[in-house]
Amino acid sequence: MFTSRSAITRTNAIFIVAIIIIAAIAGGAGWLYYSKPAEKVTLVYETAGDINMLALAQNVLGPEFEKRNPNVKVVSVHTGPGDAGDTTILEKLKAEKDAGKQVWDVDVAMVHQVFMGEYIKNDLILNYSTTLDSWKYVTTPLAKNSLGTTVNGYVMPMFNSQVAIAYNPKYVTNVPKTFEDLVNWVKANPGKFGYNGIKGGMSGVGFVAGWLYWKTGKYNLYAVTGPYDKANEQGWDKAFADLKDFNKYVTLTAGNVGTLDMLNRGELWMGPVWVDMFYTSMLDGKMDPSIKLVIPKPGLPGQPMYFVIPKKSGNIELAKKFVDMVMSPDMQGSAIIVKYNWYPGIDGKYVQSYVTPQVYNRLYGEIPPETLLQLGLAFPLSGYMVDMGSAYEKYVSG
Amino acid sequence: MIVLYLYPFASSIYGSFVSDQGIVTLQFYETAIINYKADILFSLEVSLLSTAISAVLSILMAAYLRLTSRRIARFFNSLYRIPLFIPFVVIAQMMRTFLAPHGLLNVFLAQFGLINLETPLQLFDWKGLTIGFVWKQTAFMTLMTLGGFTMIKDEMIEAARSVGASVLRVVWSIMVPIARTIIVVALILTFASNISTFSLPYMFIGGSVPTTMTVDIAHRVMYFRDWGTANALGVISYIIVFAAAIYYMRYMVGRESYG
Repeated sequence: MFTSRSAITRTNAIFIVAIIIIAAIAGGAGWLYYSKPAEKVTLVYETAGDINMLALAQNVLGPEFEKRNPNVKVVSVHTGPGDAGDTTILEKLKAEKDAGKQVWDVDVAMVHQVFMGEYIKNDLILNYSTTLDSWKYVTTPLAKNSLGTTVNGYVMPMFNSQVAIAYNPKYVTNVPKTFEDLVNWVKANPGKFGYNGIKGGMSGVGFVAGWLYWKTGKYNLYAVTGPYDKANEQGWDKAFADLKDFNKYVTLTAGNVGTLDMLNRGELWMGPVWVDMFYTSMLDGKMDPSIKLVIPKPGLPGQPMYFVIPKKSGNIELAKKFVDMVMSPDMQGSAIIVKYNWYPGIDGKYVQSYVTPQVYNRLYGEIPPETLLQLGLAFPLSGYMVDMGSAYEKYVSG
Repeated sequence: MIVLYLYPFASSIYGSFVSDQGIVTLQFYETAIINYKADILFSLEVSLLSTAISAVLSILMAAYLRLTSRRIARFFNSLYRIPLFIPFVVIAQMMRTFLAPHGLLNVFLAQFGLINLETPLQLFDWKGLTIGFVWKQTAFMTLMTLGGFTMIKDEMIEAARSVGASVLRVVWSIMVPIARTIIVVALILTFASNISTFSLPYMFIGGSVPTTMTVDIAHRVMYFRDWGTANALGVISYIIVFAAAIYYMRYMVGRESYG
């Protein structure tokens, strides 16, 4: 559409003025943002895991550390859930080491157990944890051993998560204390027990691991001492054939949340859940408050997440201080337990005085620390874990 | 284009034939087919079924919107497009509660005595998955089909009606053949989209047996760190989609008659 010359000129003028104003605002904002007072030190904290890990970093850990150390700014970076998130951190540190960088740009990281062997083998992380104040509170064997790798001194377990069987006491009158009891109950109540198989959620994988430990009796071999040897997998065909038979009486769910939702709506009366997800959904009003938890013998696995400090971090002392803060009983109480419903990385008895009896009972009422120590197991060593997945596909889904 | 599409595409084909040690092998295809052939068939069936149902519904909807001059049509015109803007992830979450054994649909039907809530409709399988796909894709197919129908001159339709053709006859014998190129493109895009969707099957049926190929690809990577087999499954899905595209284009667009 053709307009008169004076209109074009006016439009151009308005356009040019608008560009100048926007550029000025952007430039001013950028200058304000990037000009920090010279004394502030930046601590880079990189975490794997789900978005709750980022929320914890940005909303709780970062601000608290900045409050206690006003000259520090905590920058939280999130790499994502599953092995992909852990791989990102591992690859980054490896790349920095290979490139010969003198100072690496991650100061402290939060990772799962799976790659601890790689970190140590490639000399990427510091041996630091036994020098911290809070080390005296840590009693879990998971601080010393991670899926078969000795990690003593390299890690601090920020929390421990645990798989347990959730059940609806309205319908489950004889609470199963062992896997044997569980199988009998499931056969008597077909379709009322649900789990997600081996795909789509670690609560299902945890249940399968527990099943394997029960059927073979070889928990220590598969999860603690090793070694990994396929010859040790005698009897797996029978164990998984039994699981295939068991599955005929269960409902397969879509994942961790699938199981929780179905329990909440009364469609399932029993199923494996992550304890922290279970309590968090209860606090959010998404879980029937009458549902309870039990861990049947011989136990079910759980997994911690670890603080590691990259070897060439530019702020090692600050990083140690950060970890020490999060591992202290008051932070373990207020952040880890109260806000996120995880089991603390330190021994429960030290946290007891830092939380209300109501909160303590919520977490330990049904499964006290002694039971957890006995029935809270580890996932299998990675070789057995992979074979477990293949065996499931071969004997159970196939 | 090259960086974001061609390179990953080519490297996935490469990765399906070459192991970590650099050896050329067919082991990944072997694993993919032996372990997951039921899931491959399941993906194919669900995608075909949902595409077919979407096609029928979208042709009817587009025909209605094209042929009617009522004001209420304008309301439907905006309403049907809503699913276009809703990502599969959100649809998955919706369907997860809507189609659950004690979800909204079952509770609603139970109120009218149509089902017993103790034995509700079990939809957490291919049925629910199909409902999810159809709900989303009908909007897209309607949009495209309506575009095709809009280009048909009123005179052609009136001419047919004036010699006594019923509405359905007009749709099937006049409108669909004229718009068939667009409809075929919509069919191909919808089929490709359905078979490649991860979020809906993962969140909706997840660990069930059978599940879709996309869930298996993710499982292979996340649990086994086995990119080779994941790539092999991916290549199998490329072949399926190419075959479908060639079939549609050749046999449906190539026809001369208006039959």
